[in-house]
Amino acid sequence: MLVKLFATLKDRAGANAVTLAADGEFTVRELRALIAAQHPSLAELAARSIVAVNQEFAFDDDVVRDTDEVALFPPVSGG
Amino acid sequence: MTMDEPTIIRITADPIDLNALQRAVTTPRDGAVVLFTGTVRGLTGAERTDRLEYEAYTEMALAKLRQVADEMRAKFALIHGIALVQRVGEMAVGEPTVAVVVSASHRGDGAFEAARYGIDRLKQIVPVWKKETRPDGSAWVEGDYLPGHQDRG
Repeated sequence: MLVKLFATLKDRAGANAVTLAADGEFTVRELRALIAAQHPSLAELAARSIVAVNQEFAFDDDVVRDTDEVALFPPVSGG
Repeated sequence: MTMDEPTIIRITADPIDLNALQRAVTTPRDGAVVLFTGTVRGLTGAERTDRLEYEAYTEMALAKLRQVADEMRAKFALIHGIALVQRVGEMAVGEPTVAVVVSASHRGDGAFEAARYGIDRLKQIVPVWKKETRPDGSAWVEGDYLPGHQDRG
């Protein structure tokens, strides 16, 4: 699956998305661990970034499916 | 959205036309329009900013702008028109980066409060980020609000 990245995370990865090998269902907490394991440059940021699943905020106990749209980003700074 | 309660939600790379937004949210019942716009601040104390570059997670940002508009209507029942517009891309000092426009029949009908609520919520939950370019380099600005379950639409 693809994980979309924005702002600091995009710059750190050098790409606006990274591929994640993940099957079936897992929690957001597990998603963070998968990203950290498969993309070490994002490990530190993945632990504390905001996760969105299907364009809605998701929290550590929420369930993610491998078909979901997932994004990782820092606290927002628009306006 | 009804004709009497226009709701304009927009993420755009184009310059924000404040006069056009004022006209678009004003209905025949309205005698008051409050318009907030944020601009690129060139000086913060002694620190100079040359320009800002904004990026959005556009699909989610549109959904969250819609949520902000819904919250404004739920909290301020007498307001009529709402515009929430965030510009993205590169902007120079003085340019409008965002606009929150609210119309109502009278100035005491909550339009000021709704506009204030709208910009505050936008800065909490709408996924947009700015990168600041200063004389010594550029860096992403990170906000300090961490969303909770109450911020889901």
